[in-house]
Amino acid sequence: MKRKQTLLAFAGSLALGVAGFSTSATALDVSIDEIMNDQSSGEDILSYGLGPRAQRYSPLDQLNKDNIKNLYPVWSFSFGGEKQRGQESQPLIKDGVMYVTGSYSRMWAIDIASGEELWQYDARLPEGILPCCDVVNRGAAILGDKVFFGTLDAKIVALDAATGKVIWRKKIGDYEAGYSYTAAPLIVPTEAHGPLILTGNSGGEFGIVGQVEARHPDTGELIWSRPTIEGHMGTLKGQESSMTGVANESWPGDMWKNGGGATWLGGTYDPETKLAYFGTGNPAPWNSYLRPGDNKWTSSRVAIDVETGEIAWGFQTTPHDGWDYDGVNEFISFDMEKDGETVQAGATADRNGFFYVLDRTNGEFISATPFVQNISWAKGMDENGRPLFDPENRPGNPTESADGKKGKSIFAVPSFLGGKNWMPMAYSQKTSNFYIPSNEWGMDLWNEPVTYKKGAAYLGAGFTIKPIFDDYIGSLKAMDPATGEVKWEYKNKAPLWGGVLTTAGGLVMTGTPEGYLKAFDDETGEELWKFQTGTGIVSSPITWEQDGEQYVAIVTGWGGAVPLWGGEVAKVVSYLNQGGSVWVFKIPEGLASN
Amino acid sequence: MLRILVLIVAVMGIANVQARTLPADPLESVMWQYMAERFMPEGEIVFDDKVIVMAPLSAENQFHVPITVDATALDDVQEIIAIADLNPIPLVLSVRPKEALSYVGFRLKLQQTSPIHVGVRTGDGVWHVSGAIVDAAGGGCTAPAAAHGESNWMQTLGETRAYAGRETLSNARMTLRMRHPMDTGLAAGIPAFYMNELVVKDDAGQVVAEIDMYEPVSENPTLTLKPKVGSEETVLHVSTRDTEGNTFDFPLTVPASARL
Repeated sequence: MKRKQTLLAFAGSLALGVAGFSTSATALDVSIDEIMNDQSSGEDILSYGLGPRAQRYSPLDQLNKDNIKNLYPVWSFSFGGEKQRGQESQPLIKDGVMYVTGSYSRMWAIDIASGEELWQYDARLPEGILPCCDVVNRGAAILGDKVFFGTLDAKIVALDAATGKVIWRKKIGDYEAGYSYTAAPLIVPTEAHGPLILTGNSGGEFGIVGQVEARHPDTGELIWSRPTIEGHMGTLKGQESSMTGVANESWPGDMWKNGGGATWLGGTYDPETKLAYFGTGNPAPWNSYLRPGDNKWTSSRVAIDVETGEIAWGFQTTPHDGWDYDGVNEFISFDMEKDGETVQAGATADRNGFFYVLDRTNGEFISATPFVQNISWAKGMDENGRPLFDPENRPGNPTESADGKKGKSIFAVPSFLGGKNWMPMAYSQKTSNFYIPSNEWGMDLWNEPVTYKKGAAYLGAGFTIKPIFDDYIGSLKAMDPATGEVKWEYKNKAPLWGGVLTTAGGLVMTGTPEGYLKAFDDETGEELWKFQTGTGIVSSPITWEQDGEQYVAIVTGWGGAVPLWGGEVAKVVSYLNQGGSVWVFKIPEGLASN
Repeated sequence: MLRILVLIVAVMGIANVQARTLPADPLESVMWQYMAERFMPEGEIVFDDKVIVMAPLSAENQFHVPITVDATALDDVQEIIAIADLNPIPLVLSVRPKEALSYVGFRLKLQQTSPIHVGVRTGDGVWHVSGAIVDAAGGGCTAPAAAHGESNWMQTLGETRAYAGRETLSNARMTLRMRHPMDTGLAAGIPAFYMNELVVKDDAGQVVAEIDMYEPVSENPTLTLKPKVGSEETVLHVSTRDTEGNTFDFPLTVPASARL
């Protein structure tokens, strides 16, 4: 809409018109092969996570430990309006254009050379959307001549990448029942159907049922669907395919019907195993006494055959979760050198505070290491990766209290916001370390009775969050996945809520709620550079090469779940101001070699 | 290099447009030259009484100003456009009558007293223009839609009341009204969201008429068209789409002429 007017209003805006023409002169055509090879091509960013495995590792090395001190902003672009709140988006880059999403289901195309807007799309959201944890969006997907993203009313929309106009829009879930969508969609190749666009869903606090759906990118036609909760039926090409698990095997009665397990962080894909890996969220309700059993597949990683939507394997990080260890965390495929052998591994840093390494071909457990301190809910893991629960640190059953209204309160570490929340970690092919953005905090937690009501919060629990240490909550750690050894740690006063990037140039970058984008030495953790963006950062940085120069970009704007749910933690973040913009950096000409 | 070429082409294009001499506007609109350049960029422009624009002298309700255009006195009509010169978004709609009479009725939002120009393009490329001035109180385009007073407006989106009757032996008259807020994007905090395409097809799938609608079309669009039909009973198929990709389709039966 805006673009059309700009082009028509030629009399006053020649420069904008020319920018528009030059980009449309080379019509966008992103192939599935380009997306699969995204990690090795430095000139574009075509996927959430800088490649289908989402390692967030860039092979670019023009920016390095020596010259990073010369990194300066090129431009900053404001998302405008009054719709600020949390900005958790990772931009995509193709042919000199940035595609970036923002709070309240908005998206922009920006000419990178000039920083000027090419188009803006604002989803028309209905009244009564129910996003649990801020009105964020984490990014878009791109294929062919279209860009795709999910909206807070649980829709997926395909836009014409040249104009921002809607090509199709499909419903993922009923927003009135609490469904929404905030993750970046995942594009995968299939032999049977061509490329498919995969989405999860959000709404774990409202008793929804987690699901992964695969659609045809040209039309939005549903190809298959896979619920994450046992007892629910999947579909393939409009027909029922198979039931997830066995009904009532790990769920009592009809509790599985509103069992949670939201796939709210989306998924990753490994071109070698041809499997899509989705994390699943907490079981509903939080009160675990209402649902005895393991409650599969909540708080799990599931590997899905992208041809059929069948679950190839599942691994449950927190069986019978009672702490909202909402283990959706990204599962990153990588090849691990251990004892002289190369293991086809995958790693995930769970909300429950443990860093897991699994065999990504079959889900078999390899190791689990605490990546935060003082974990109290479990004493460790058995040889299959099943937690050794500490019964003293599961909140008490409210039916055992005098009035039946509030069970015994316990203090558990980590807090329900997790050793690591949504913010994605990075894996360096250079150092073979994972860089994990984590938080050191615990919670008082107690259970209460609750019954399901459509569109209402379905928790059955009360809580407050408390820092563990006086001087910091946030903790960025470099971890060797083969040994579990923490190589270095950077401590941050406020909780870390942004993703991490690492590069062949030896850099680790992340943002802080205090507003700094920071760069660290990947081997020592030494802070090499920082820039104050003027509002908190809760998003994931990117880097790419354009016209021979290496660029860095970060979306800024304080928000997310911390200010909404943060309890005592609010003290260290309450002064932070909202924003909404994207910053782009590079080294000024002539300084790159310094 | 490509950019430079494009730049030259763009500059030449503007030079050509500005070289065209425009006839004086009988409505004396201060925006006339700009409107003509923007919305009728090519072809000769003539003011023509054969284009009849029926509009109220004064808008009783600036959110719903009824306009009827009758250009049936012209042959070979390709397109009819309506422009509210002083609206923040001037272009209201564009109709391609194809297998319908050159006739359209609709309602528009008016931001202030404004000339309404209607351009009718015939096959020879000439724009036949007429218009009217409608007096109005302010605010038609920048106020939120009335629907937003109700929390469930999205549930009734696309609800339709439509009627088709036979006007003569060779043409029907169809009127429809569809629930849609037609948000202009100019009310605070409400993004643009409007029905932007309407296509009428006959039973054989042939396009009878197409309408491109823009933000100034009134909330709950109300439209009248006159499709050409044979003497037998026939079914017209209406399909619409909004800027969010929602589609709404319905059939309309035109009775046989014997039942006239």
